[in-house]
Amino acid sequence: MMWPIIARKELKDALRDRRALGAMLLFPFMGPVMIYFMFNMIIDIADEAGDVTLPIVGAQYAQDLVDYLQQSGIDTEMVELETPADPEQDFYTQAQLDEIREAIRSRRYDFLLLIPPEFDELISSSRRSNIELHVESTRRTAAPKAGRVRNLIEAWGRETAALRLIARGVNPDVINPVTVVSIDVASQQSRVQSILSMVPFFVIMAAFICGMGVAVDVTAGERERKSLEPLLVNPVPRYVIVIGKWMAAVIFSAVGLVLVTILNFFSLSQVPLEEVGIVFNIGRLEILGVLVTTLPLALFAPAIQIFIGIFAKSFKDAQAYLSFLMMLPMVPLFYNMFNTQDREFWMSFVPMLGHHMLLTDVVRGETPEIIDFLVAGFSLLGYSMIFVYGAAQLFKRERIIFS
Amino acid sequence: MIEVQGLTKRFKDIVAVDSAAFSARDGAITGLLGHNGAGKSTTLRVLYGLLKADAGKAVIDKIDVMKDPLQAQSVIGVMTDAHGLNPRLTAREHIEYFARLRKMTRSDMNRRTELLIEALDMGEIADRRAEGFSQGEKMKVCLSRSLVHDPQNLIMDEPTNGLDVMTTRSVRAIFQNLKKQNKCILLSSHIMQEISALCDEIVVIAEGKVLMQGSLDDLARSTGEKDLEEAFMKITRDGQ
Repeated sequence: MMWPIIARKELKDALRDRRALGAMLLFPFMGPVMIYFMFNMIIDIADEAGDVTLPIVGAQYAQDLVDYLQQSGIDTEMVELETPADPEQDFYTQAQLDEIREAIRSRRYDFLLLIPPEFDELISSSRRSNIELHVESTRRTAAPKAGRVRNLIEAWGRETAALRLIARGVNPDVINPVTVVSIDVASQQSRVQSILSMVPFFVIMAAFICGMGVAVDVTAGERERKSLEPLLVNPVPRYVIVIGKWMAAVIFSAVGLVLVTILNFFSLSQVPLEEVGIVFNIGRLEILGVLVTTLPLALFAPAIQIFIGIFAKSFKDAQAYLSFLMMLPMVPLFYNMFNTQDREFWMSFVPMLGHHMLLTDVVRGETPEIIDFLVAGFSLLGYSMIFVYGAAQLFKRERIIFS
Repeated sequence: MIEVQGLTKRFKDIVAVDSAAFSARDGAITGLLGHNGAGKSTTLRVLYGLLKADAGKAVIDKIDVMKDPLQAQSVIGVMTDAHGLNPRLTAREHIEYFARLRKMTRSDMNRRTELLIEALDMGEIADRRAEGFSQGEKMKVCLSRSLVHDPQNLIMDEPTNGLDVMTTRSVRAIFQNLKKQNKCILLSSHIMQEISALCDEIVVIAEGKVLMQGSLDDLARSTGEKDLEEAFMKITRDGQ
């Protein structure tokens, strides 16, 4: 067993490279931190939209409506205007409207309901009255809250209309042939799901990012600092050297993977998911499932990177090729995003695509079929071997050794 | 013992080595002498198994280099033209890495490493990282890692290139010492003084062809020139 000697030396070298080590350790933290904050934001928004406090000017002119709103779970707040009303005028004066606008602009209120003094009079005489809902819709949660208030007012309006018709002996259905009952299935949930779908993406990316520095350094770096020729003078078969270098990168990639997985689940466990009605059971079994699913990626990503690293003429060359390679894990993500078809068996053989689907299943709390695990895992192992073999072949080329 | 017969190496249309034949015996220092680009490095690279010859034979201690390059590599110590070191590893770690790749036992490795560190006066740099080593310090590390397994045959591509006088002298002393231990030393150089000061046998090479092999005296006798430089000029001129 000669390859551990090479792997050990490359690891020692990599661990002393503070910059590369820092970059490798930084990435696994990025995803979980992002996920944590995004979840909390969604939950906050959901919370805030839940209890609405509605400031009302002229609540005393529409006691019936205000009662209705309160019964529907809206807290109301009476707002007294400082600007005196003009008894000559039916509606609010321009000065009063300016005061309201200023109150919203100065962030005292995000929205405000304005009920005109003649409201009760108009309604009780079966006429129509305008009421104004002033909203600063660019403010967070203002639009959904105001939307809820508007829906309730409209519902009250329909009820009032129905009562008027009944009093005149007309069935309210005459003017209401269709009622659209919209049922919000789970807008929160779907947003949460889309964030959850980032977990597989971060995990797959980690496999590529965390081993890359080492993979480039042991190949293109070795060539560039002219230490490859002296190394190959030792009686060690080329494939053994390649395996040693590959394994060094694999260890970095695997550490990154495990780290990102654990941190992702830790981050999810810190978010009160049940508040948005998500049942997400994170147990050791799920973490184990993700690790078993993804560890073949830690073999595969460095295998391609080693191959490309040997092929590249210089460190810079290798980095250019490899940053292009980073696009690769994104392909299955986009494919799965737009793919509406069911899973087909061939997909498991496609590197990354199969793994992305497996991970998505695991994160959603479903258990994928064992055959999908095996096919995805072993096909990835096969592809890794092809690239390692190819890298060993490249290492035999005279032009690669002396250039 | 290194023997080369009819060795030919082409790169596309260029013939870098053209049916070269020479030998380097045990207990002697043999020097490949030629201009830059004469084919010295290419010849040595074929000998240490990194280039495949198109024709001919190279035998080291009865091992055919073409047939069993790994076996041949195990009986030679090589100092290549490239002197790259890992900037983050210490001098000692470089030497130990090669010792491990040569499957040496830990005690042998430690003993030989200490010996070489002392012989090459590397005590001060032994545990310092290679980053910032001077040319001389780098060469010392390269030399000691190629000697760590105590090889019977040594192939050195311009071993004193870029060294100061002091270091050159200590390197020469090491070669003389190895010669006394009956080792076979083959080195290349384009510096006449180097060759005449060090070598028992001189192989004159130009445009990939071996023009003459012999001792300093042999060369002087056949050319009628006492000075190696004059003799070399005459041989290469006649060769064309």
